[in-house]
Amino acid sequence: MKFEKKRASTKQEIPTASMPDIIFMLLLFFMVTTTLREVEVLVNYSLPEAKAIEKIENKRLISYIWVGRDGRIQINDSLVKMEDIWGIMYNKRQALPNVIVSLRIDKNTDMGFVTDIQQELRKAYCLRINYSANIRI
Amino acid sequence: MIKKKKTPEATIPTSSMADIAFLLLIFFLVATVIDVDSGIGMTLPEFIDDPETVDVPKDRMAAILINETGDVLLDGQPISLFQITATLKPRIQSKIDLPKNKKLIVSIKTDRRTIYNAYISALDQVKEAFFEVRDEYSNSRYGMKFNDLGPEEQNEIKEAVPIIISIAEPEKIK
Repeated sequence: MKFEKKRASTKQEIPTASMPDIIFMLLLFFMVTTTLREVEVLVNYSLPEAKAIEKIENKRLISYIWVGRDGRIQINDSLVKMEDIWGIMYNKRQALPNVIVSLRIDKNTDMGFVTDIQQELRKAYCLRINYSANIRI
Repeated sequence: MIKKKKTPEATIPTSSMADIAFLLLIFFLVATVIDVDSGIGMTLPEFIDDPETVDVPKDRMAAILINETGDVLLDGQPISLFQITATLKPRIQSKIDLPKNKKLIVSIKTDRRTIYNAYISALDQVKEAFFEVRDEYSNSRYGMKFNDLGPEEQNEIKEAVPIIISIAEPEKIK
């Protein structure tokens, strides 16, 4: 006996002519949202969680300070000492007067340490800060 | 009528376009870091060598103290960390109609050994209280949440409910 499948005689193709357009759309989206990571984070940290957080609108104004679990401080690409923060941040502020300093501090750091950094920032006139935190759901 | 000359076909082969686009797409997919910078914004005071002390009436101040084990004192009363918002809200609300120099000041003071996480949680609670009061006030005035208002109305609400948080330096000797 012969089995013959019943098939509709319509074409069974997905139209692919618009595929490049769709891909380009996706591509443009990612191109616009991408910020290429310039610095490599050398310290190990986990951020605290908070609910009442704000987003920083202007990414170009941000300058980061990382503080790791072991109390090491990183600015830009290198680990720095507490006394050096003042000079580095002062130069940053000269280049970018309304800089926002984003403090990415490990959640188990002592407050005394955080305050010392803040004092350095005050001396450097970097007064706008942001305690980086993850959103708590 | 003049007949158009038949031009030889001059098309760019587009069949590989999708492949090229895919390659680019994959590159950007891999290179993208979608982490929005979010956190609690603060403005530090200017650095002055010997600051003047100004006396502030007691009912204007809400002093939060956090010790190294994470216990919280609000105006001398021990309080749980998660009650800060609820306790501060009525105090902020009662000062909405007062002039600018009579609004509530929240002062947060920690110990040098206090864990950063506890400090952020407390700061978060305080900010939350201010945001909730702002939202409620703008709801009663404009029927909208604070974030949906125009810039002018937002400024007006900000005048009525300013966020004043003072970070006191921890004591050196313990």
